[in-house]
Amino acid sequence: MHNCKETREIFTELLLDGMDFRSDQALSAELSRCSDCRSEFEVLSATLRLTNRLGETAAPAEDYWTGYHSKLRQSLVKAQAESSTSRAKAQRHKDELGPLFEPLRPRAGTSLFARFFKTTVPVPLPLAVAVIAAAALFLSLVIPFAIRTARKDVQQPNTTTVVRVPVEVPVVQEKPAEKIITRIVYRDRLVVKATTPAKDATRAESTFAKSQSEAMPSSLAGFKPSDEVKLTVIKGGVPNEK
Amino acid sequence: MTERDTDAASDIDLVRRAQAEDIDAFCLLAERYARRIYLLAAHYCRNPQDAEDLSQEVWLKAYQAVQTFRFDSSFYTWLRRITINAFLNHRRSSFFRRNGQTMSVQLLQIDSEEQQVFFESSSRSQENIYNKLLFESVVNALAELTPAQRLAFLLRHYEGMTYEEIATAMNCSIGTVKKGVWRAIGKLRARLSPESDAQETLTSLASEY
Repeated sequence: MHNCKETREIFTELLLDGMDFRSDQALSAELSRCSDCRSEFEVLSATLRLTNRLGETAAPAEDYWTGYHSKLRQSLVKAQAESSTSRAKAQRHKDELGPLFEPLRPRAGTSLFARFFKTTVPVPLPLAVAVIAAAALFLSLVIPFAIRTARKDVQQPNTTTVVRVPVEVPVVQEKPAEKIITRIVYRDRLVVKATTPAKDATRAESTFAKSQSEAMPSSLAGFKPSDEVKLTVIKGGVPNEK
Repeated sequence: MTERDTDAASDIDLVRRAQAEDIDAFCLLAERYARRIYLLAAHYCRNPQDAEDLSQEVWLKAYQAVQTFRFDSSFYTWLRRITINAFLNHRRSSFFRRNGQTMSVQLLQIDSEEQQVFFESSSRSQENIYNKLLFESVVNALAELTPAQRLAFLLRHYEGMTYEEIATAMNCSIGTVKKGVWRAIGKLRARLSPESDAQETLTSLASEY
């Protein structure tokens, strides 16, 4: 069955390859079946042939190439000169620095490891002096520090550092319990039936003596009982205590 | 070395001499392939001056890189690879910024000054006119493509490279190459179709085949 799309793809590729469609009988048969494909083929074939012809006709004339190649030669000579200059510069650097690395160049029979320890490298004297001075300075700074560090390690082997930090801790202070001292003083009841003024005076004196004796609670000497009961309460006592 | 020996010298011999910094040998190689490179550049740049500059740049790069040629392919295959890279890397400085409007100016310049450059000297002035119109049509058609599409078409049509070779050289997919080639063919067909302005040119020139 004829497929226009496939047919056009096939003859386009054949035309791009520069093949003659008449050599392909299958394609010729397909083109003979479809007039659209045939006309498309004719147009496309003419188009590509024209572009080929353009390639031929667009070529410059022969006298153009004389100037073209002379210009190219000048460019090549210039490029070669620049290349030679850069190569000479590189060679000069190589000649200057080459002897420095010459001993490390690989040679047959000796390993790089052996050459590394046996090779002597020529170094300018100022550079050598500077390197040695820098090394001496470095060692003079590093060695004392290392010794000091080692001594500290010996003196305090595995010591733990105790750091004392004062910390304020709130303490709850209990109020001191206040005792209530209750003293009951019993006095003898005086039966006043018939009193005389002399007796009242005696009674007054006895009352005074009693008050005096109260000032001495530790001793009951001179205590005389009376009918009155005096209760003394000291403030600040325990609430439940009466 | 006589001229006959020079003609008979193979590309390999000339490349070996060029690798030994023999400029004459490299110039002989350039004389062999300069036209092909120039025509590719002319179609790619669509401008004779740019084509000359670009093709000269290609030869200069080839000379600088000739030491890397390993003889594992033909010299022209290697040179074509350099050409493709140079085309793709070419700065779109002068002509690539121009549009179709400047094309007519360019064609006028061809009329007055560079007719001998673009067209072989011929006594048939009518054919030159046809060629001029044809060139204009093709150039305008190619101008509507991207540089990559244009290069893909040139390599497929003028260099006969396969899609796989083009894709490898341009570092893109085969589908991209096919798309570019078919797009170029479509543009050319539209420009050179019987309905276009170049109908007479197309008809008259096609009748010669």
